[in-house]
Amino acid sequence: MRLRHAVASATVAALALPQAASAHGLVGRQDLPIPRWLFAWAAATVLVASFVGLATLWPKPRLQELQERVVARLPAILDVGCGVIGVAAFGLTIYAGLAGNQTGTANLAPTVIYVLFWVGIPFASALFGDVFRPFNPWRAIARGVSWLAGRMARQDSLPDALPYPARLGRWPAVIGILIFAWVELVYVDKTDPSQLAIMAIAYAAVQLVGMSLYGIETWESRGDAFAVYFNLFARLSPLDWRGRKLAVRRPLEGVVGLTPVAGTVALLSTMIGTTSFDGFSQGSTWSSIAPHLQSFFLDIGFNAEHALELAMTVGLLAMVLIVAGLYRLGVAGMHTVGEGHTTSELAGRFAHTLVPIALAYVIAHYFSLLVYNGQATAYLASDPLGDGSDLFGTGSATIDYSVISATGIWYVQVGALVLGHVCGLILAHDRAIAMYRSARDATRSQYWMLAVMVSFTSLGLWLLSAANQ
Amino acid sequence: MSVTMIIAHFGHWWTSLLYLLPVVVVVGWLSFQAWRDSRSGGDDGS
Repeated sequence: MRLRHAVASATVAALALPQAASAHGLVGRQDLPIPRWLFAWAAATVLVASFVGLATLWPKPRLQELQERVVARLPAILDVGCGVIGVAAFGLTIYAGLAGNQTGTANLAPTVIYVLFWVGIPFASALFGDVFRPFNPWRAIARGVSWLAGRMARQDSLPDALPYPARLGRWPAVIGILIFAWVELVYVDKTDPSQLAIMAIAYAAVQLVGMSLYGIETWESRGDAFAVYFNLFARLSPLDWRGRKLAVRRPLEGVVGLTPVAGTVALLSTMIGTTSFDGFSQGSTWSSIAPHLQSFFLDIGFNAEHALELAMTVGLLAMVLIVAGLYRLGVAGMHTVGEGHTTSELAGRFAHTLVPIALAYVIAHYFSLLVYNGQATAYLASDPLGDGSDLFGTGSATIDYSVISATGIWYVQVGALVLGHVCGLILAHDRAIAMYRSARDATRSQYWMLAVMVSFTSLGLWLLSAANQ
Repeated sequence: MSVTMIIAHFGHWWTSLLYLLPVVVVVGWLSFQAWRDSRSGGDDGS
């Protein structure tokens, strides 16, 4: 009976998620000179060597003070223009989702949301800074409404924004990212264009309410899940767009100033954990666990589709908790070094070290999606509704899977994971020598962060390997 | 039944242990190092 249920669930999954199966790029045959597990050993060796190098060659904090240099001033019209483009792109995506062909691959909305927005912007942010902010459509709408209200009403008649509750911190962003990840990885109708459009409208409405209650900038920096998410990656960039100024800084320097408000560690754990689950759910380990979970939910009365979603939800949450637990273990280890630092203080002050790891996981898991599925933009731009139109003459364009080989993708993935974790080590080391009174205690505290980094690297490579089998 | 399943799937998951091994080695070495440091710290202080 259970077997029958499991088979039924698997069939539903296969039928319901055909696009999900290919959503993260094709995985071709890799031609690697050594077994994949040996890459994990090599990565661990690189991390240990980096740790030793940092302990001996980096005796003083170098990143704790921000040293930015303004290199350009930007015209005010640029801000307005970017906002208009952002609102127009948002409107087009919604329109395509609601009015277009309801086949996911033929409609612009799923590709824009899952590829260009969710994956493309983190890549762009890490390279060019917080590029999402000027294009943020709900921020642009809120600013436009605020400007209009200011012109139409007397300034003193407009209510002040409420003080943002400190205990909320980045928790609204945690919830937002978790919900989006659930939709992307678990929800069976994840590629349904009209449902995506409705969810996008609902998200925008929540943001507008948040901005009207707590102020545009405050809500954007704490509660707008995507703005917070992209901003974290942008902090790694050497470019900083501040108001109407463009400043340059050393790479990684921007993330050192991350304020560890409530929910920051949870947000980063969610970012890493959900990406990890994306890889894990494509591997054989999950394939052997999932049917048992599905059977459990079938047995307590759920139908096959919901049993599958619930099983995936359990896996998703478990992976977030595992990532958070690994980090807390490292922090608990650091706590044993002493000097009076509490675990919650250490967890907050070292939270920024997880940002490059989160980016590394995004690159490792979604690089192929961006490279391959991103090309679909060419024909979807010409035919956004999937009704056969050819607005720009690119309607017959196809995806070229030869732009990079499977082996090339593997090296990008491994390189990103190693580099991301080395960056995490650098940030942790720099923070430790700034925090601890003795260099010896600083180094001892970092034994634990090294263990965390090696664990995350091995986990990341294992997930990639499992997904590629 | 669970034990049977684990043994039956050994061929699938034993390679996963190879990914865990660097973690075990590093954690073991660091634990030893931490223990040695705490001992030498205690000696310094006495």
